[in-house]
Amino acid sequence: MVQYHHRGCHRQGNHETVGENKEKRPKFFINDHVDILIEILKRLDCRSLCVAASVCRLWCTIARNDSLWENLCFRHVSPPPTSVRSVVLALGGYKRLYMGCVRPVRSRLGRARRASWARDEVQLSLSLFCVDYYERLGGSNSNGRVVGESSPSSLMFLCKPVNV
Amino acid sequence: MVLYDDSATLAGSCSGSSSSFSSKPPPMQQQQDIDDLLAGAGYKVRSSELRKVAHRLERLETAMVNSPADFSQLASDTIHYNPSDLASWVDSLLSEFAEAPPCPSEFIMDPVTNQTVVNDVWTTTNPNMSQVHQNISYELQSLNNQLTVVTAMEEDSGIRLVHMLMTCAECVQRGDFSLATSFLKDMQGLLTRVNTVCGIGKVAGHFIDALSRRIFQGFGGGSINGGSSYENEILYHHFYEACPYLKFAHFTANQAILEAFDGDDCVHVVDFNLMHGLQWPALIQALALRPGGPPLLRLTGIGPPSPDGRDSLREIGLRLAELARSVNVRFAFRGVAASRLEDVKPWMLQVNPKESVAVNSIMQLHRLLGSDSNLNYPIETVLSWIRSLNPKIMTVVEQEANHNQPGFLDRFTEALHYYSTMFDSLEACTVEPDKTLAEIYIQREITNVVSCEGPARVERHEPLAKWRTRLSGAGFRPSHLGSNAYKQASMLLTLFSAEGYSVEENEGCLTLGWHSRPLIAASAWQAVSHASAALDTHRPAQSKAGK
Repeated sequence: MVQYHHRGCHRQGNHETVGENKEKRPKFFINDHVDILIEILKRLDCRSLCVAASVCRLWCTIARNDSLWENLCFRHVSPPPTSVRSVVLALGGYKRLYMGCVRPVRSRLGRARRASWARDEVQLSLSLFCVDYYERLGGSNSNGRVVGESSPSSLMFLCKPVNV
Repeated sequence: MVLYDDSATLAGSCSGSSSSFSSKPPPMQQQQDIDDLLAGAGYKVRSSELRKVAHRLERLETAMVNSPADFSQLASDTIHYNPSDLASWVDSLLSEFAEAPPCPSEFIMDPVTNQTVVNDVWTTTNPNMSQVHQNISYELQSLNNQLTVVTAMEEDSGIRLVHMLMTCAECVQRGDFSLATSFLKDMQGLLTRVNTVCGIGKVAGHFIDALSRRIFQGFGGGSINGGSSYENEILYHHFYEACPYLKFAHFTANQAILEAFDGDDCVHVVDFNLMHGLQWPALIQALALRPGGPPLLRLTGIGPPSPDGRDSLREIGLRLAELARSVNVRFAFRGVAASRLEDVKPWMLQVNPKESVAVNSIMQLHRLLGSDSNLNYPIETVLSWIRSLNPKIMTVVEQEANHNQPGFLDRFTEALHYYSTMFDSLEACTVEPDKTLAEIYIQREITNVVSCEGPARVERHEPLAKWRTRLSGAGFRPSHLGSNAYKQASMLLTLFSAEGYSVEENEGCLTLGWHSRPLIAASAWQAVSHASAALDTHRPAQSKAGK
């Protein structure tokens, strides 16, 4: 409804910016319509979303919202049961899940991928994410690893692709 | 297919053997003696001609090295027909060269007494050739590495090293320690000429160390077995990071446990070696998300007592409990500190009769074995009390190797193969310090297998077939792992980005290997119920014999 009007306004904007119509019809400024903005950002891919986060503070705040990343994680999969959300949030959130696990898993498996694997990919990512959370728990304890400052992370093998 | 008749005569005169190359037999006859291993790789070579083709390839290689200018012209100007017909293709290339210089290949001609070992070692250093016919692989590999003289010498040293290791081991078996010592000195000298950073040099170095320990320090293995449990845990953790074997073990076992616990509300998992508890977060998460909600999970972790007053078991338990609390899984942990698995008694586990029990053993059962199959070793006691717990599932992951043979030389040979393959797979890892520490972890195993005897030797690996017999005899029945476990394992391997790993299914068990050599095997078992066990007692001597 509002959308149509503004779209129409935008199209004719070139003709009518100058002069009287400027006062009558306000310019369309996306930041005033956060719900539309969210709808748009929800459909972006990871890279675009990260780029969008550097546009302005409002976009940054929205892009950091976990529900956008939730969409990314489950994009090609049928919506998961609701219990997944509480688990993922407890383990560190969807953005972390996506950046740390889902994205490398998807890109690594990209070559050998079959359509039926999409759900299994997410499940595997969740398991790896959980192990990572567990190791992060350990790092916060004063266990003190003897071996260097960087405690071993079970996701390191995802970060550094190995070419043999 | 175009043939070069003059090449046939040229080749025939140089190699000194008559060649029936000039006339191509009709395709029907040809099909019958095509070497099928090479055919799998896309090359059609007759089995009778393998040796000849190898020699010609070798000459071609030499020619390429010595007159690169000619070869580049060859590559651009000449038309080559059908490279899959390897023999005639090589001849066509050779015929372009005016005269092939004699090939410096004395070491190829050397009779190698133990060719099997050498070939397998070769396949580990150059993994791409593992599928090829034995003779060809040996010669082709030596060709590929002959590009520089230095490399040739190095590979030559590598072969000599393996040779000497075998001979030294044989001396040790015979009891001829003075000769063995002299071999050790020679080998240590040879090590300086070989690249010890990777490949055969590195593995050989570890085996030489282990042999010298055996000769000079007796069968206690020195201080290597006395490594503190804290050190062991760190090494184990880095081994977990560096290569997929433990991850495969954990994920496969978890999948089996998850499927077995389907529909149960009260579950109890007994872990024979808790370490840092890296296996359990994934199971806790999977239970949290299972349809129908999570059960009450009890985990009993067995581990060595910690020396300096720290209760490491309890700390791990607290961490796991915190994770479980975050994901809303009711969780209870109990730690059982025991320095040896046979010291654990079932009452310590406090199993509730109403709960479903899973027993998880990742590379622990082999420590209970002994070398003499007739005596009563702890394995029988432990297996019987496991059975008395009536577990819904028992997951067993063991190294797929035969390191418990009574004869030292056999054990040594087998260990050389196995650990060469494992080190080779470790080359794929570039994350430090994981890789170095993982190597130390494996090195400890090598030392134990080679230099210890009696109760000090705990790394008594046995292959899957033997475990099957043993577990079936102890009252367990195999439970097939299923396609979900297989799918998960395959995905996990794909993530590791190293092209050599392979998951195989073996009668309901999964094995993970490097280039078709299985290195670790995961299986699941259920206790046969006592009613059907009573029927079994009518069959005499089935459970008692063969242990």
